[in-house]
Amino acid sequence: MSIMKSVNDFLMRLSSKLKGGGDKAIEKQKKKGKNTARERIEDLLLDEDSFLEIDLFVEHSVKDFGMDRKELAGDGVITGYGKVHSRPVAVFAQDFTVAGGSLGRAHSKKIVKVMDGAAQAGIPLIGINDSGGARIQEGVESLCGYGEIFYRNTKLSGVVPQISVILGPCAGGAVYSPALTDFVFVVDRISNMFITGPQVIKTVLGEDITQEELGGALTHATITGNAHFYTKSETEAFNTLKKLLSFLPANSNENPPVRSSIPPDQPLGDDVIPDNRSQAYCVKDIIRGIVDASDFLEVHEHFAANMVVGFARLAGRPIGIIANQPRVLAGVLDVDASDKAARFIRFCDCFNIPLLTLVDTPGYLPGADQEHAGVIRHGAKILYAYSEASVPKMTVIMRKAYGGAYIAMCSRHLGATFVASWPCGEIAVMGPEGAANIIFRKEIAAAENPEEYRQKMISEYEDKFANPYVAANKGYVDTIIRASMTRESLIKVLSRTGQSRKGHPHGNIPL
Amino acid sequence: MENNLDKLIIDDTEYVTEVPEHSRKPYEGVPDPSEIKAFIPGIIVEIKVSEGDSIETGTVLLLLDAMKMHNEVCSGKNGIIGKIHVSAGDSVQKNQLLINLIIPE
Repeated sequence: MSIMKSVNDFLMRLSSKLKGGGDKAIEKQKKKGKNTARERIEDLLLDEDSFLEIDLFVEHSVKDFGMDRKELAGDGVITGYGKVHSRPVAVFAQDFTVAGGSLGRAHSKKIVKVMDGAAQAGIPLIGINDSGGARIQEGVESLCGYGEIFYRNTKLSGVVPQISVILGPCAGGAVYSPALTDFVFVVDRISNMFITGPQVIKTVLGEDITQEELGGALTHATITGNAHFYTKSETEAFNTLKKLLSFLPANSNENPPVRSSIPPDQPLGDDVIPDNRSQAYCVKDIIRGIVDASDFLEVHEHFAANMVVGFARLAGRPIGIIANQPRVLAGVLDVDASDKAARFIRFCDCFNIPLLTLVDTPGYLPGADQEHAGVIRHGAKILYAYSEASVPKMTVIMRKAYGGAYIAMCSRHLGATFVASWPCGEIAVMGPEGAANIIFRKEIAAAENPEEYRQKMISEYEDKFANPYVAANKGYVDTIIRASMTRESLIKVLSRTGQSRKGHPHGNIPL
Repeated sequence: MENNLDKLIIDDTEYVTEVPEHSRKPYEGVPDPSEIKAFIPGIIVEIKVSEGDSIETGTVLLLLDAMKMHNEVCSGKNGIIGKIHVSAGDSVQKNQLLINLIIPE
């Protein structure tokens, strides 16, 4: 073949492969309000013209069930490397237009190759899931494919950031690859995740439930906590993903990218929280008053809202923030909040991101429900995660820091680098009412006017213990600062903490 | 915003805060051993006891077809079979009452 003939032959083969499942299938994909796999990678995720595709010409070798007559472009997945805001990433996108994006041996080998490539280069891995599931014609080969992907998700955990974007169905065993990654994005009315679909549930159990209710985007964002980011459109999902990447290093040996420092739009005043300790306020307002440009990227916004976690910058350096949210459930710790915080803390520790903990919590949520849901087992995860973390750990006690929850929220005792309290901080075993009722129970009962005596004892306890000075006297609180000085103090702490330790301290096991 | 705030009491202190729906669920208590309920939805295959029978802990009361298995539903206590609410062939929902057991004091 002459050179030009071979080039023309190549171009013809290429254009057929680039069409994926063909015009009809693409039209169907569009009708569902979905972009194609190629659009997702090239138009929505990566910098323009940065995509280098690999394995476009990979083909399956299955002979059974008429598969030998089926040509599947790229075997239903697009893989390669590219750049996001000029920083390299590895990427794969399942192509629903090709055999429903079903996962066969060749398909999985392509994903595995790009995962190994991410590991070798030390760059983040982004997976876009849109697949009907296992390619049944391939039997155990397909299961083998999933298994090899799960194995690598685990081995890469804590080494490079792994992000999953669910943009279509992701059902059965397939759900476990995203579940092993660090962050999962879902899009309203496009994403679906479940182990067993509504049809099977209906047949086997007689339970009627819609696909949306069972495993739609909102379900995973609010109830199960499987999804970390919930967006209204694919475009919004990828924009949020790019923002997320801007806080993260390429791998666990690097430090997160530093930018120039920008002061918050609305700096904190000294009276940012209400006078009454039982009055709610939104802790996100406090966060925005501390961090650069008041810019806070919240993770798990709709799940366990009594705990707020997310990324921001302080003097240009990325930090991970963990904060009790008095606005919801008074900011108590419970099963879900514990899981949420613990996994976030461990992620930050994997990738050299310093932690800032903002404390205002009355304690653990009481009740048989919580006890039986395993609040002991789940609550222990926060203690473990904070104690284990070796990144700089800064804690600000804003108001209530009671009992076990005080210890859990990155106290000095769990190895905090720096603990500050605002003047209205209350570090005690419990709130004044509860404490007075226990300590003076006999005296209250015997008093001539029990209620009057009770109030007197409450205010006595309040004067004595509802302040940060007892803890500061012992050195458990390093310093007492006015709210308005918070940002300045934290920047000083951060500037004296060195750069990251090198290496791979631990993975980021799903919690 | 303020109108969806509720009260939550922790250690005798009352907090004004949002209480999400799923946190309001009252505690359902320990299951009553005198009520034999379906632990999974399915179809009754066979009822192995009759009303008035004396039975012991572990006696198989009925077979429930679910998840492609004939599941044995057993008694958790010694007692006498009270009312039987279902018959073979019935489809039952999860937690549906199947049999009342009379447990001696």
